[in-house]
Amino acid sequence: MSIFDIFTNQLLNGIVLGSFYALVALGYTMVFGVVKLLNFAHGELYMVGGFAGFLVLSFLAPYIGPGWLGVAVSMLLAMVAVGFLGVVIERVAYAPMLSAPRLSILITALAVSLVLQNGMLTLTKGQYVPFGAALGFGGVRLGNLFISYNQMILVGVAAALMLGLELFVSRTQYGRAMRAVAVDKDMARLMGINVNAVIAITFFLGSALAAAAGTMAGAYYGSLWYFMGFLIGLKAFTAAVIGGIGSIPGAMLGGLILGLLESFGTQLPGVGSEWKDVFSFSVLILVLVLKPTGLLGKPEQERM
Amino acid sequence: MRNVIKTAAGLALAIAFGMPAVAQDTLTIGIMVPTTGSEATYGQDMANAVNLAIDEINKAGGVLGKQLTSTIGDDGCDAQLAVNAASKLAASGVVGVVGGYCSGATIPTLKIYGDAKIPLIIPAANSTKLIPENPGNAFMINSTGNDQVAKAIEYFNGKGIKSIAIINQGDAYSQDLADLTKKNWEAAGNKVTNFEVTNKGEQDYSAVVTAITSANPDAVFWTAYYADGGLLIRQLRERGYQGLIAVGDGSNSPELFKIAGPAAEGVIAFSNPTAEFLPQAKAFADAYQAKYNAAPGPYSTLSYDAMKLLAWALTTAGTTDSAKVIETLQGANFTDTISGPISFTPEKTLARSNFVVLEGKGGAWTLAQ
Repeated sequence: MSIFDIFTNQLLNGIVLGSFYALVALGYTMVFGVVKLLNFAHGELYMVGGFAGFLVLSFLAPYIGPGWLGVAVSMLLAMVAVGFLGVVIERVAYAPMLSAPRLSILITALAVSLVLQNGMLTLTKGQYVPFGAALGFGGVRLGNLFISYNQMILVGVAAALMLGLELFVSRTQYGRAMRAVAVDKDMARLMGINVNAVIAITFFLGSALAAAAGTMAGAYYGSLWYFMGFLIGLKAFTAAVIGGIGSIPGAMLGGLILGLLESFGTQLPGVGSEWKDVFSFSVLILVLVLKPTGLLGKPEQERM
Repeated sequence: MRNVIKTAAGLALAIAFGMPAVAQDTLTIGIMVPTTGSEATYGQDMANAVNLAIDEINKAGGVLGKQLTSTIGDDGCDAQLAVNAASKLAASGVVGVVGGYCSGATIPTLKIYGDAKIPLIIPAANSTKLIPENPGNAFMINSTGNDQVAKAIEYFNGKGIKSIAIINQGDAYSQDLADLTKKNWEAAGNKVTNFEVTNKGEQDYSAVVTAITSANPDAVFWTAYYADGGLLIRQLRERGYQGLIAVGDGSNSPELFKIAGPAAEGVIAFSNPTAEFLPQAKAFADAYQAKYNAAPGPYSTLSYDAMKLLAWALTTAGTTDSAKVIETLQGANFTDTISGPISFTPEKTLARSNFVVLEGKGGAWTLAQ
């Protein structure tokens, strides 16, 4: 392979990886935007989403097959289920804490994360679960670059979900309410916006996107594990911060940038896979030094 | 009256905590394995095997005229948990400990057992990093990384392989194996095209896979555990890597086939001898199956042998005095085992290599040589 081929291959790897990061980062950023909470349980919702998709698929596979149709239906149902799980978590664990100091709610989020992770550990006895999707290996070859149909569908679905979310937030009445709550919760309430409903919708959407990523990851990588949400949760959080936490386009951009940094970092001489995390996190620090609000974040205004 | 209450309370406490209150007519063996966390299944297999050995020893009259009991310390394959587990075992008056699965978790416990002067027999953990940390009371009955590397290089040479890629996870066990392989492989005039490190728990290996396929080595050697190895093997084959894929003994698990699927076909594993490949282990495997209603795990045979060895050392020394027991172990030439005779080098590692080569066929490991 020539340098150019390696470049295009790593570009593709970075885009696929970045799509996962971006989908999970969106949930972080939306929740932070609306309730100023770093929801550390978010990576776990990705994991639960994967298992929910697996459960649905094992029920449906005899009827609609384990191909892309089966995965798509499982993904949608997993999104709805985990979306509601996100709302339940918000109501049970976060809502009573919303007026408490920020640190308390942060610790609650860590606790929720441990509950979900260890709950799944107990249910699965720590075993790997094969996802059971059969997606085929076809694709398009462009010179030395092989793009599988799976990768195309995956990136396409991720892009469509992100576009849908962007349209929802910018064009609909609920989206406008969401933005209003993000700016000033109390004023929004005075304007007659049902703040609790807006927070519920935010958690629903964020969790549903994580579940979509979880199901797609299960289908694409082939297996599920109770611990699979931990690392991606951390990475997605990083992506959200790079892009500017609270900003939806920022999360998408941040996810893509982090995915590309990791792919190219692996190949860079002197960096390599050994140093790729040092490399991408150095970029994070650099971004925060030069632009503390992240690439697309807006500085928070203090109101007197 | 007061004294009566005190005595009663003391007695109740002693009973509650299972401490031998008056005369000590049993000897307690400590078992240090992970019974929680990602390696919990292996740890349970090992504890089961030790307890099976204890049952048989007790039936045959016990050790030094006393019956054996066991107590488990859960190391969770984690250095901090392991230190707690070791301190707990050391404090509970065990006469010896069988345990150590994850090298990274075992290393910090060596000093604790050393300070407490407790003989430790390590059935599984085999990183060469354990050797310099050994205060003199620990004996490794699994062949070390050195032996594994020798076996791996012998196998690669036999297959006419000239260039390899090595991938580890940056933990004590897999990094040790990777470094040793790289050193000895290059010393023999061969080429290492890639030396990669991945994070534990990562799902996407595409960047590393591209780096490897673009260098196209004759073989890929994964030195870490099965869980992430399965994902890597799958992604290597999906991206069209055609060469040989080999894995270290940490990946010798049937679970690998669940994760990698058909991609694991033809994968080579270097492994210590497990019960299913030892004809002399049949009776052990049957007894294990009968007692636990499950097949023995990859490290069950060695754990069983470790317990037998410890009981032999106590009996031969004729005392539980640790200095005598350690001296006996050092001079051991113990043949009443299923995994082969045990004697030790001056470094207290197994004096021979016990590695075999396995090949993935039809979703299971088979003996290749």
